[in-house]
Amino acid sequence: MALYSRRRVLQGAGLLLASTALPSWSFAQDTPSGGRLIVAADSEPRNLNPAIVASNGVFFISSKVIEALAEADFEAEGGVVPRLAVSWEGSEDGLSATFKLREGVVWHDGQPFTSADVAFSAIEVWKPLQNLGRIVFANLESVDTPDDLTAVFNFSKPTPFQLLRNALPVVTSVLPRHLYEGTDIAANPANAALVGTGPFKFAEYRPGEYYRLERNAEYWGEGQPRLDEIIYRVLPDRAAAAGALEAEEIHLAAFSAVPLADLARISQVPGIEVVSKGYEGLTYQLVVEINHRRAELANVEVRRAIAHAIDKQFVIDTIFLGYAKPATGLVPQNAPEFYNPDVPQYDFDVAKANELLDAAGYPRGANGVRFSLKLLPAPYFNETRQFGDYLRQALAEIGIDAQLVNNDSAAHQKAVYTDHDFDLAVAPPVFRGDPAISTTILLRSGTPAGVSFSNQGGYANAEIDALIDQAAETVDTEARTALYNTLQEKVAEDLPLINVAEWGFITVARTSVLNVGNNPRWAVSNWADVALEQ
Amino acid sequence: MSAVRRFIGSPEGVIGALLLLVLAAIALLAPLLFPGDPLRIAGRPLLVPFADPAFPLGTDRLGRNVLAGLVHGARASLLVGIAAALVAVAIGAIIGTLAGFAGGLVDEALMRVVDAFQIVPGFLLALAFVSVAQPTLPVVIFAIALGAWTGPARLARAEVLSIRERDYVASARIIGMHPLEIALREVLPNAIPPVLALSAVIVAGAVLTEAALSFLGLGDPNIVTWGSMIAEGRSVLRSAPYLSIVPGLALVATVIGVYLFGEGLATMLARRDRA
Repeated sequence: MALYSRRRVLQGAGLLLASTALPSWSFAQDTPSGGRLIVAADSEPRNLNPAIVASNGVFFISSKVIEALAEADFEAEGGVVPRLAVSWEGSEDGLSATFKLREGVVWHDGQPFTSADVAFSAIEVWKPLQNLGRIVFANLESVDTPDDLTAVFNFSKPTPFQLLRNALPVVTSVLPRHLYEGTDIAANPANAALVGTGPFKFAEYRPGEYYRLERNAEYWGEGQPRLDEIIYRVLPDRAAAAGALEAEEIHLAAFSAVPLADLARISQVPGIEVVSKGYEGLTYQLVVEINHRRAELANVEVRRAIAHAIDKQFVIDTIFLGYAKPATGLVPQNAPEFYNPDVPQYDFDVAKANELLDAAGYPRGANGVRFSLKLLPAPYFNETRQFGDYLRQALAEIGIDAQLVNNDSAAHQKAVYTDHDFDLAVAPPVFRGDPAISTTILLRSGTPAGVSFSNQGGYANAEIDALIDQAAETVDTEARTALYNTLQEKVAEDLPLINVAEWGFITVARTSVLNVGNNPRWAVSNWADVALEQ
Repeated sequence: MSAVRRFIGSPEGVIGALLLLVLAAIALLAPLLFPGDPLRIAGRPLLVPFADPAFPLGTDRLGRNVLAGLVHGARASLLVGIAAALVAVAIGAIIGTLAGFAGGLVDEALMRVVDAFQIVPGFLLALAFVSVAQPTLPVVIFAIALGAWTGPARLARAEVLSIRERDYVASARIIGMHPLEIALREVLPNAIPPVLALSAVIVAGAVLTEAALSFLGLGDPNIVTWGSMIAEGRSVLRSAPYLSIVPGLALVATVIGVYLFGEGLATMLARRDRA
């Protein structure tokens, strides 16, 4: 851990600065260039390939190396700006979408980027392998490449272009065809040593220590990237991030790596700023995942009782220290386009929860316990773990004995999403601007085991499946929104999972880091314009 | 009786014994002092100590009573410490006795196994074992014992090597007792006392190892332990340091108590030998 001593880092940064300072000054007089940005990383994903695992833990590192067709933006029309694609258009009938690609882009290994890479990624990776792509591109039939810079997506059933556009930043990470074609894509070595077109090249990974990305001198963005290097220092101990920031060992800790309890204090430290912007496109939802294979949990009355047992306001005030909102249902309030407030609510009411359980035929035993459950809190965030501690206590109040099982990230994902070895799990899924991107997957039946952040609880409801499928093919925006409103009602009634809270994250950075939080997906964007004041 | 007098004669032994008695009383009375789950959310979160008479040591991030956690944590710490030491001493004494009494190839083989365990640091062994098996209390106890049984094994073997030449062992042989019976009924009981003196050190080590495992999140998350309380307090170390300091002090008191008690025990045995 101590390999990157501060002196060595500073020495290295100085040398690198000397070698790159002159050329970069020629076109960037006002913004500083060069330097090594050191960032706290709290987890080490097993598979770093964002085209296969579209999750923020992976994007946090890989989005700097592998780019998508477009990126989210605060001002742009439709909320997205071009990256590898320069323009896009959907057909009236929703059966095709045309993307014009950027000219003169090369892969990090020198090969040219063409529409064949996009076609390959879409057909061979996004649709069959990606956790989110298999939903968004469910009806993708083929991708035509009339020339090197045009890709035409053909769909077998109408696919709303609004959904495609909302999904572009998340599901369209383009992989180099020449490295993946004809190989076992899921086991390709390039999943760990990434090769992309992004502003930074993947340089080195030392397990338990750091990831190192270095400047891609051939990047298409003029004068970008500004930084020479990004180091992700693995700091699994969250309490260490604040100390490392104050000691100037790291420049930045994103995703609330600095505990919320520490924010009030650290915002007073000179040279450090607390930024809450930059997470608008990634609303996290605190959700209780339910394994419907358990007879008790397959009973909707039991699920309603559990919902009544959770004091959302306590969770907001105590665990999130006010940096969150109580959830009213499947869609968060900051997605006004889809949010439906008129759904059944489950107020905090322990007496009612106990009544429901008694009526459902689960009386308390001699020791006051109705039945025991295995509860797996996701280890990704302080808040999910603390909510696990809270939920155990909340369930004890209604006579359900929840036994906590703590795992690391890899073991947790395997236990929940592959082995289904859980009864309740605490998960932080993300709402990404459209329910069809990463929200309906939590409900739709039929996802094979092993797909992370999907419905692995064995929940199968034909009515909900039909609504999801219909909305996925409805091109008309109003009709589509109406379908999602119905879906929210059905979900609140049947509770396939329990939404507890929704929150955005906090970035804590040294003030020397420039352009922090300047787009709605900032932490997982490409950081081509991030700079360090020397 | 004279042994007890000798023990009382050593001040460190008495202080240690008193400390341990208090801790044991607290541990045994925990369910009476603080009935129910000590992890229950009982009050306003992050109450500082001595502010509210209902929570003399304050509350943690979720509003759990720190004093209740401390008292129940004593159970876990002492239970793990004593159980791990018992398991380690039992395994060690039996293997050491067999090795020393049988001699020859059996001795060689068993001692090489002891060597194999001794070259791996005990904490690392426990860490590996707990992360492979699920972190439940019995697993933690066994994992700690796994790294601690080699000391007693060596000591027991050394004792047995001298005892087996004594006259009463020879006479047992002559009256036709089975060698295994001689080993376990004649030799082992006499080899045990010095091994017991070592057990105090093992208890102290086991308490610390358990706290370290819990601190790393490898304890049983469903019971409160001092190590998990310290780990829990770490995220608010700057704003509420008492959450880590209070269980830390309890840990120090326990280890000092066990250590002093062990010192007294060793003094007592040493004087007996001289007498």
